[in-house]
Formats: sequence, structure tokens, C-alpha cells
Amino acid sequence: MSIVAGCDIGSLTAKAVIMENGRIISSALLRSKTNPQLSAEAVMKEALSKTALSMDNIQFFVGTGYGRKNISFVNQAISEIACHGKGARWLIPGARTIIDIGGQDCKAVRLDQDGNVVKFVANDKCASGTGRFLEVMARLLNISIEELGGLSSRSTAPIILSSTCTVWAQADIIKYINSGHKIEDIGAGVNSAMAKRAAILANSVGIEPDVCMTGGVAKNEGVVRDLEKLLGKNIKRTRKADPQIAGAIGAAIFAMEKVNGRSK
Amino acid sequence: MMEIFEEAASGITNRYITDWVNSGKKVIGYTCSFLPPEIFHAAGILPYRLRGITTESMEISDAYYGPYVCTFPKCLLQLAGEKKLSFLSGAVISTGCDAMRRLDECWRKTGEDYPGSIPDFFHYFDVPHKTDPHAIQWFENEIRKLIRKIETDYHVNITEENLKQSISLYNHGRMLLWEIEKQRSLKDAKISGTDAFSIAVAGTVMPREAFNDALEQLLPDLSRQKSNPANGNRRIMVAGSINDDIELIRLIENAGSTVVADNICFGIRSESDQVDMDDEPISALTRHYLSNSVCPRMFGAYRQRFDLLKAKIERAGVEGIILQNIRFCDLHGSENGLFERDFEKMGIPCLRLEREYGPLTETGRMKMRIEAFLERMA
Repeated sequence: MSIVAGCDIGSLTAKAVIMENGRIISSALLRSKTNPQLSAEAVMKEALSKTALSMDNIQFFVGTGYGRKNISFVNQAISEIACHGKGARWLIPGARTIIDIGGQDCKAVRLDQDGNVVKFVANDKCASGTGRFLEVMARLLNISIEELGGLSSRSTAPIILSSTCTVWAQADIIKYINSGHKIEDIGAGVNSAMAKRAAILANSVGIEPDVCMTGGVAKNEGVVRDLEKLLGKNIKRTRKADPQIAGAIGAAIFAMEKVNGRSK
Repeated sequence: MMEIFEEAASGITNRYITDWVNSGKKVIGYTCSFLPPEIFHAAGILPYRLRGITTESMEISDAYYGPYVCTFPKCLLQLAGEKKLSFLSGAVISTGCDAMRRLDECWRKTGEDYPGSIPDFFHYFDVPHKTDPHAIQWFENEIRKLIRKIETDYHVNITEENLKQSISLYNHGRMLLWEIEKQRSLKDAKISGTDAFSIAVAGTVMPREAFNDALEQLLPDLSRQKSNPANGNRRIMVAGSINDDIELIRLIENAGSTVVADNICFGIRSESDQVDMDDEPISALTRHYLSNSVCPRMFGAYRQRFDLLKAKIERAGVEGIILQNIRFCDLHGSENGLFERDFEKMGIPCLRLEREYGPLTETGRMKMRIEAFLERMA
């Protein structure tokens, strides 16, 4: 019997997954706090509270995400590239190309037949093409991040953003709001700009089916559909678990392999 | 012994430069590896490869360059504007790339706006982008023009004999650096990539005599020293844009690798090539410095550069390549894409990494990518 946990401490959210014998028995997702240790403690506490377990019952912890090296209870830290690959593969067994859009960066990862990372690209030091970009734009439109995804399907004439720079795009959006454009069309334009950025990365790693998305933006149906059009490929959806916790799932699977003797 | 090199490589100035200037001697800064430092040495002037590390802001240089330009020349201009390069009595700007060429105009203008920020001797040294006979003739003329200008402005005489002595001294330094290159590329390397890189950088800012002496002392120590077992560290080569920051190499090694080779301006590139001592010195310098097409600024020489990297990979047993480029560096940015395509095809994993020049403020972002790359190779 193995009880393990994976913690993915990202720039915007902290995620934890507890697995027992390869099955998720609990998970949690919280807004990141001021330091990785606090985020990890809080998210693990939340995940544990849904079970009858305590920290002492966890046999092995794997940490991932930007804050992974600064969590005291982690037994091993593994990069989010490998963890998202692993997690995506668990969610969609045939996944070969993963587009992960998190709060701070956007990554495309190509896996081989056995799920090993063959190639990856990440956006460089820029908020456009990240979850942060969508958050800023949603705030400007005075809607929640969840509502933004649904706007694309209701739009009849999506606006075109002349720049995907988060700062400049804000100025564009304000111009559209002031000139009376419908919120659906502006939202659809934002989702489309996001999809274009992600498509560039996906094309750079070379796309192999099945394609899937992880990270919070995978829940934005507008971005996913636009991306499908741009790539000319179907993007597999998963109902097995929240795609936003894919990194934490991957971390927990690495932990499980460690306990079962199949260490990375 | 390593402290000498580390100290010289870690700041824009060092005690050798301070002593040199205090004894009344002159220092000239230059910007490009295509310029033969032997010319300055033969005039009794200390050649100093211009560096931009320790820059903390761009509030002066951004006003001349704008934000969407490579940060390396901007860091140089910023330091000049802040008068942190006041130990220079001269500067020579070359057309390494377009952003570096514009340093000539931007620095001249900064000199007008910030009195005392430009040295008295300020010269533009053109470097052709090809190696055909016409270009070689042109480059030789540029060298002769620079020599005449130094002779006139500094009231010195650069004789054939002086040049030959300087070439001999620099050739000896190149040979010693090549020995370091051999030690770092051994199966169980005797010197880390960070230390090897520190030595190479120090060589561009130290008086050559002192540099050669320090290397002569270090090399026997190294060969007596026990090898550092690789301990499963991945053997990495770093190539791409200009870098003189030893912390970049340290960051890559601390992530769990050994940098066993590099092909970076300021690093050890093709030091095994010696300047021909039998030829007339200006002609020998011309051919040596122009024919080394190690930089993508040279037109039509991709294959030559690919072969150079391939030879380094084979010699040092490189397992993966980090192809880094400074943001907006069109030369290395595009060439890195070609290298990635061709080396991946040969089964050698490549990581493309874009960065800013200057203080490593992006270490978290870069570390994540480097660690993921090393995991991919595991």
C-alpha cells in the first residue's frame, strides 16, 4: 500500500494531490500565499482535511512548480515540465503533446511513446500568453475568470488585439470598451490572442496527437476551441480530474513510483 | 591560484587595471573578438575587453537606444554614462552586430550630454562580414588605420618588432588557454566549467604577461590535482550570445551539470589556432582575426560554425547543448534555431534559452528550464 502526495506551488495557485495506490483520494487548490512554504502547508492541510490522514501517513512527497525547492516537507523536487507531462499522461493516456498554461508561464511539451519528455518550450519572461494575461483582462471587463471562457461562443464579431503585450493589450481593451463593443466580442478577442500565443509554442515543439491541455487555462473553453482551430487538431478533454492540478498529479505519481521502487 | 582569475572576472575593473592606471599607463577598451588586442599591447597600452556586468539600471542608455534592443551595448553605455569606465583613456567600437555598431553613435551623443563619459581616444573599427580577398584587404586597411591613429594620438611607434613580440605573447596565452580547455573536457574533468570560463574572461581584462604567468602556475597544480569525478553530472556545452558573467555558467553547473565546453564570445573558442609568426605581422593578424568565423556576424559560414561545435562535442563528450541568446539578438537567436534543428537531428538534446544581459535577475525562470532540460536528459 502506498500513500503519497504531490504539491505544485505555482505563481498564482498552489495545488496538492494525495494518492493511495495510484488513485486520487483527495486534492486541493488555493491561491498562492506570500511564500512557497506557507502555500504548501495550507494546500496540504486542505487536502488532508478531506481525508482521515495526517502528514505522518504520507510516505513520500514530491514538490514541483516555482516554489518547489522551498518546501520543508518535500522529499524530492522535480521540474513542472516533467510533472505536467506525467500528470497529463495519467489524465489522457495517449497524450503526446501537452500545452500547459499556468499563471506565470506557458509551456508546450512533447512526449515520446513512453511518456518521457522529448522536447519542451516555455514562453520567456512575459505575462502575455499566461493565465495572468487572462486575469488582467477579465478584471478589466469586470467579469470572473470563469466567465471569460464562455464569451467566445456567444461572440459574433471578435475583436483583434493589435498586441499581445499585457500592458498594451489593456490599452486596446479600454479603447474597445469605450467605443461600445460588446463584451462577448472583446472576451472572444482576448481568448483568441491567448490561443495564438499558445499555438506558436505548440508548433515549436512539433505537434503529435493526442494533444491535451493542462493548467488553469485548460478550463477556458474559448481558448481551447480557438487553439483547436489554429492547430487543426482536436484537443482531448478530460473528466478524470481538474486539468489545473495535472502538475500535482504528476508529482504524486513520481512519489508513488519512488515508493514502489521505480524511481525517476 | 583561481582567486586571481575570479577576482579579475567578477567586476568591471580589477587590481591589475588600478595598478596599471596608477603607474601612468593607458587602457583602451574594445568591443569585439575580431579586433586584435596585440596592436594595443605593442603600443604599451592595456587592451581591455569592454564589459557591462554590475549594471543596475538603464535609465541613461534606454534614452539613446530604446527598450527593444540587446541589453549588452546598453549596459556598456549605461556604465559609460555613470562614468564607471573612467579608467579608460580610449575606446574602439566595432561592427560586431548592428546594436554594437550603434554604440559608436550613442556613446558619442552620451559624451555630449554627460561630460566626461567618453574617453578622448574614440575610434570606429570596421570589420567586414565576409572573408573574400577584397574583404581581407579592407580589414587590413582598418588595422593599419587603427595603428596610425594610436601612433598619432598616443605619440608611440608600433614597430614590426613590437608587434611580433606581442603576437608571440598572445599566442603563448592562447596555447595555455587551450591546455585549460583540455583539462575541462577530460572524462573526469580537472577544472569546472565555471573556473575555466573565469580564466577565459580574466584573460580579456588582465595584462597578458600577468595572465600568462598566473596560468603557468595554475596548470601544473591542475595536472597534479585529483580529478573531479563526474558523479553522474550531465556534460553540457553552452553556446550563443555574448556572455562574460561567470554566474550564468555557475547557475547551469549548480543545476547538476558540468560545462565541459563553450562557444561564447569571452569564452574559449578556437584558441588552438595560432597567429602565424613567420608572416609579416599585420598580414598575419588580418588573416587570423578575420578568418575565424566563429561568430554568426560572419556571412555564409554557418557550416564552419556547425563543424566547430561538432568538433567540441566530440572532443569533450558533450551530452547536451544550451543555446542561449540575449533577448533581441537576431544573430544568435536565429542561428540557435538552426543549431537546435541540426543537433537534435543527430540525437543531441538542445535547450534554447532567452535571457537578458546584466545581473541575473531571472535565475528562477532560467533554473526551471535548465533543471527540466537536465531531467529530460536523465
